[in-house]
Amino acid sequence: MRLLQRLKGGMGSQTQGHSNYAYTTARVRAMKGKLLSKETYPRLMNMQISEITRFIQEVEYKEDVDQLARSYEDVDLIEHALNRNLAVTFNKLLNISEGELNFLISEYLKKYDIWNIKTILRGKHCDASTDDILESIVAAGRLTYTFTSELAAKPTYEDVIAALSASECYSILKDYNGTNLSDIENRLDKNYYYDLFQAIGDPKTKDRKLFTKFIQTDIDLKNLVTLFRLKRYGITDPLMADLLIEGGLKLHFKEMERMLSLSFEDFLVQLENTPYWEEISDCCGPKMESLIHVETRLKKLRLKSAESFSHVYPLSIVPIMDYILSKENEVSNLRMIVRGKEVGLSDEEIRDQLVI
Amino acid sequence: MGAKDIKPTRSELIELKKKIKLSQSGHKLLKMKRDGLILEFFDILSKAKDVRSELDKAYEVANKKIGIANAVDGIITVKSTAFALQDIPQIELESRNIMGVVVPKIESSSVRKSIEERGYGILGTSSYTDEAADAYEILVENIIVAAEIETTMKKLLDDIEKTKRRVNALEFKVIPEMQESMNFITLRLEEMERENTFRLKKIKG
Repeated sequence: MRLLQRLKGGMGSQTQGHSNYAYTTARVRAMKGKLLSKETYPRLMNMQISEITRFIQEVEYKEDVDQLARSYEDVDLIEHALNRNLAVTFNKLLNISEGELNFLISEYLKKYDIWNIKTILRGKHCDASTDDILESIVAAGRLTYTFTSELAAKPTYEDVIAALSASECYSILKDYNGTNLSDIENRLDKNYYYDLFQAIGDPKTKDRKLFTKFIQTDIDLKNLVTLFRLKRYGITDPLMADLLIEGGLKLHFKEMERMLSLSFEDFLVQLENTPYWEEISDCCGPKMESLIHVETRLKKLRLKSAESFSHVYPLSIVPIMDYILSKENEVSNLRMIVRGKEVGLSDEEIRDQLVI
Repeated sequence: MGAKDIKPTRSELIELKKKIKLSQSGHKLLKMKRDGLILEFFDILSKAKDVRSELDKAYEVANKKIGIANAVDGIITVKSTAFALQDIPQIELESRNIMGVVVPKIESSSVRKSIEERGYGILGTSSYTDEAADAYEILVENIIVAAEIETTMKKLLDDIEKTKRRVNALEFKVIPEMQESMNFITLRLEEMERENTFRLKKIKG
């Protein structure tokens, strides 16, 4: 069935066919029920790394830990197991969904392809070993783990780009000359959203409208973080508007361009007029030293809004997007705890970084 | 120089007196230099303590920030953002003179950078990476200041030690020996004077 659908997909008709919302959302609800509860994180923070490995081996990550335990140990084992589980879980979503739903999920998960390509180019840029590159690979998109591993094993970035000559992002990758990685990365990230909107097209169905809204919120929050980062360094150059992504839900591009030319204090005043201010107001101020709290709050907001939306539209793509975000968040929290313990962060410092 | 190796002549006595005078003024100057260097050393010592504690603190903060950035953005991302930097900080080495001791003066430029000068993709990274980069820039600045102060301190210590050895050698060895030789020559000359007087009296008689 899946094979048939993939073959059909290969012929450019991915969007056709019946979507199995009832089945997929029911499965996803069951999968969401298996995510770690918020009470688990304080317990994990009291454990040693080996105990955490044991713990995750007893829950949803058993197969991943069992598979990888021969090759890795300690933090590396957990990191690989988390990445593998993320990939397996998202591939499962693609396998159980059909029709338009499947198409939308796969389009969204292309962000992992972009992530993997960027990671490989970064790895080649800093002469990282294949194993180091593979540690950061999450094969949850269209590119398979085998193909990505082959890319990571290529000796130079030219070989990597040549191997991707048939991919959609080749038009951007071919401009990479070994020195303009940041530009290529920014273009790939922006292009991902552009392609996503292209794939959605004119959102006529309810599902596409909801998906568009989800992506637009994503863009808003990403733009907000970018603006905060630029403003924190006192950047007012209008050319930096190139880093902003068009198509947000509540933050319009013109408005953001105007914000870019303001000082940090005026920028915060302008933000008060946006719907996101309420969430971040208590951790924002003209003398704020760190943006980590703002970023954490925005991630929480993202999760909260996806969850509340999923209750409103239970038979739509939203519960699936909500699950994807929650799963990513769980993996990110576990990684934070493990890496935090590895570098000797205190429990309080680790807790500050968690999005629970 | 043993007193017995000295020729007990008047010219030798004059020469020795000159040497003693010179050594005493040298001893006085070296003592002043030693005291001055010690004062300078203590002044730098308090600065060095502050710089060292700031350096330790900056190192600790940088280590934590990079740990968090590694956890959130991934090790490869952080490593590659570090390699993305094209404009390497320039270090200028000059020297200055503290009481004859040549110490380094290290000037650095463009250690602190704005986000767009760092050369990494802003959309693909997070503020965790920014903060790790900030923390490491502060650490590099602290290392440069600490390198200047600690090298100065080390050079001052070496010179204090050397000056102290010279002062002690002059005070307890060179000047006493010369004074002993001077006393020997004076005594010998007086003895020769008395012998001469006695000889003359004997010839007269």
